[in-house]
Amino acid sequence: MKNKLSRLAVPYVVWMALFVVAPIVMVVVYAFTAAEGGFTLDNFSRMGLYGVVFLRSFKLALVATVICLMIGYPVSYMMSKEGPRFQRAAMVLIMLPMWINFLLRTYSWMSILENNGLLNQLFQRIGLIDLYNSLSGANLEYFPMMNTQGAVVLGMVYNYLPFMILPIYSVIVKLDGSLIEAARDLGANGLNVFRRVILPLSLPGVLSGITMVFVPSVSTFAISKMLGGGTEMILGDLIEQQFLGGAYNPQLGAAISLVMMVIVVVCMVVMNRFGEGEEQAVML
Amino acid sequence: MKRRYSAMSRVFTALVFLFLYAPILLLIVFSFNKGNSNTVWTGFSLDWYKSLFHNRLIMRSVYTTLLVSLLATAIATFAGTFAAIGFYSLRRRPRAVLNTVNSIPMMNADIVTGVAMCLFFVAFFAFWSDFAVWFNGVQHMVTLPARLTLGFGTLLIAHVTFNIPYVILSVGPKLRQMDKNLVDAAQDLGCTWMQAFWKVILPEIKPGIASGALTAFTMSVDDFIISYFTAGSSSSTLAMTIYGMTKKRVTPEINAISTLLFVTVLLLLVIVNLREAHMERTGQQERRPKPVLQRLTRFLDSPRGRWFRRGAAGVLTAAFLVTVILLTSATNAQPVVNVCSWGEYIDEDLITQFEAETGILVNYQTAESNEALYSLLKSGAGDYDVIVPSDYMISQLIEEDMLEELDYGSIPNFSLVDSRFKNLPYDPENRYTVPYAWGTVGIIYNTTMIGEPITSWSALFDDQYAGNVLMFRNSRDAMATALSYLGYSLNTTDPIQLREAFELLKDAKSRGVYQSFVMDEIFQKLEGGNAAIGAYYAGDYLTMLENNEDLAFVVPEEGSNWFMDAMCVLKGAPHFDEAMAWINFIASTEANLKNMDYLWYASPNQEALEQYPAYYEELYGEPLDPEIYEIMAAPQEVLDRCEAYLVLPASIRALYNDLWTELGI
Repeated sequence: MKNKLSRLAVPYVVWMALFVVAPIVMVVVYAFTAAEGGFTLDNFSRMGLYGVVFLRSFKLALVATVICLMIGYPVSYMMSKEGPRFQRAAMVLIMLPMWINFLLRTYSWMSILENNGLLNQLFQRIGLIDLYNSLSGANLEYFPMMNTQGAVVLGMVYNYLPFMILPIYSVIVKLDGSLIEAARDLGANGLNVFRRVILPLSLPGVLSGITMVFVPSVSTFAISKMLGGGTEMILGDLIEQQFLGGAYNPQLGAAISLVMMVIVVVCMVVMNRFGEGEEQAVML
Repeated sequence: MKRRYSAMSRVFTALVFLFLYAPILLLIVFSFNKGNSNTVWTGFSLDWYKSLFHNRLIMRSVYTTLLVSLLATAIATFAGTFAAIGFYSLRRRPRAVLNTVNSIPMMNADIVTGVAMCLFFVAFFAFWSDFAVWFNGVQHMVTLPARLTLGFGTLLIAHVTFNIPYVILSVGPKLRQMDKNLVDAAQDLGCTWMQAFWKVILPEIKPGIASGALTAFTMSVDDFIISYFTAGSSSSTLAMTIYGMTKKRVTPEINAISTLLFVTVLLLLVIVNLREAHMERTGQQERRPKPVLQRLTRFLDSPRGRWFRRGAAGVLTAAFLVTVILLTSATNAQPVVNVCSWGEYIDEDLITQFEAETGILVNYQTAESNEALYSLLKSGAGDYDVIVPSDYMISQLIEEDMLEELDYGSIPNFSLVDSRFKNLPYDPENRYTVPYAWGTVGIIYNTTMIGEPITSWSALFDDQYAGNVLMFRNSRDAMATALSYLGYSLNTTDPIQLREAFELLKDAKSRGVYQSFVMDEIFQKLEGGNAAIGAYYAGDYLTMLENNEDLAFVVPEEGSNWFMDAMCVLKGAPHFDEAMAWINFIASTEANLKNMDYLWYASPNQEALEQYPAYYEELYGEPLDPEIYEIMAAPQEVLDRCEAYLVLPASIRALYNDLWTELGI
């Protein structure tokens, strides 16, 4: 019976070999090819130059992931405590924003965060800016929020938060209630129940949430362009520049993406060690 | 205590939802804006909804998006579910390997996945064409299409490929949660494995399948970068259309269509949820499997069905691939022409008019920049007939032998082009191009924020405007501002001069002069008064002026860049005659007048240039401000101060790239 069912995997294995593995192999080949053809390691020897960009990207993605986790975990937890109708509605509401193109959503954030944007106008009107000026002795006309690393992180959190909430929620909602009761019966207080029972059991969801937020955050380019003002480049920008932008150099682009991929995969493998690896990402 | 906790948690959840929905609400509000700005509210109107339904480009891309997303979701859900069951039945070691490969599309940057697939498809097509020629030569019973192109088929393959992992990841855990003994028990009780699948496994993993499908669909709709590289020249999704618009600006029609889609999905989900809730309340059971399904199951389990079962997966996969190959090579009976231009760079009535007059279908796509277009062409993803690159890119394409010589005999309207705009340096003998539109680069500034009039490029490097200046986010234009200021040629190949220009930019950046590096975001920033000064194109200044009267434009005294975008045909374009018809149509005086009115860019057509003020007066019932006309179509003495870009030698292009990357770091 087992062997019979495992044959079902064959078509997809063929598919993956064709459309996942083969294209990746082409990227690897590209990374080791010079622009004029022929084998070279030059594309990698320039990598040191971009160390700053690598560091900055991983830092921003890490911050975004941590914030997503800090918002996403409590939300998932609270949602799982509500009634079934609320839960269903909430799930839908979390997926729904992804139906509006993410470029448009990010454009909207621009009008909110601009120097003359909605938030600053609101702060002006309620006198927050004057209050701040009189308290600190500064002379601000607005709070500078756009074109900062903070704005980029906000964009990442905004766009990828659902990817954190959904997997965590899907794990928490299925937790065996009797385990929690047992813990209480054995004298654990609320904090201990959470720390000793709920948190470890929800770890698989947390891990897959972290993956789903961290990976796109490292490689995004649209968000940093629009909200970061392009003054500080991150990895996605660098890669995009080689493939689509002014610095056309697909070989270098392939090399940079390869290095990024390796780092990301190593991070994920190390992280999944903590989670015993068996349970993976769960959406919804 | 308990109640307070729950109230607090609700407030927190509400705040998170506010965070998620605030930008969307804003977007919906601005879809009802009268003006075309996303920042300046000018009054309520439904105009954008009305014009949306006449915008064929958007409507067609919505159709493609829905079609590819639905098909990809259906295929991915089906294939992914079976693959997940297959994975689950494997032993631990091979399963771990396959799971890792499976997660590659999610671990990889989208842009890399897109480029990789594009490279793969192009390589495969080359191989296929050799194979087809050989095969057709060997036998004559079946004729294989020799020329495959990127198109709907490859787009679909790409979407299926990045969707399946999400389905597997949703279904997998449900399988692992399932009690393994259930299947064995069912079989002990006489179920065949097919029956076991329908009656035991399927009900257990159903929620996983549903959520996997929903995720896959959402991913499909939202994706743009993978589509961009795999869709070819004949189909584009909504996300690609939006991305293509970012060279100029995103039209509010996009807000309108997004609002409509959003509301539709919201309604659908509400209905589904209400029904489910209703069924739960009334305690209705899930419906039994339909008799058809039961019969199918029984058939598949019978000895006769065994052959089918064995081969089913293989046959399905093969059938799918064949369909896709046919789809990619499908030659439409109707003549077509594939055009790639910039977003918002044509009055779309012209497309409709051309199609009605000639019966030729226009596939109109947009690229984000000259460089993006170039990389599409280089990677083989862009098999267009007509493209509209700018001067320096044209000379590069000619240099690399990527353009076809035009047949000027079938473009009589070429004679209408002002002689000033013929035989330009990018195409000295005028064998490859017909000019499309031109303009100048200058400084746009807000007169309420800047006291004195600006006349020099020095404003872009001046500390007194620190934090208020917007700089180009592309190397050529950004360097040009510095080169102009220093009095050097825009086409200089002297590394010392280039270094000096670069140091000027870098120094200004480090002193915090630049608020940000922008392209189309400049509309929002200058219209909304978020920045005071920016360098940009004259035609776009006039668009901004409609939303903010305080803006002024100047071509600095040191001189500047003037540019020409021209229509060319790619080497080996499959629809050459149709391309000639299109170019001739667009070069007509009438089309140029329409475009000039729509774009605010100057036309190269002499008659159109002369007639435009009268045309404007007739159309709007008021005379055209001569100052505006001069900004739009700069007089010759301004052009004399300006310099057009030429293609730079490869070594200097590499230097530009390095300097630009260094500036970014």
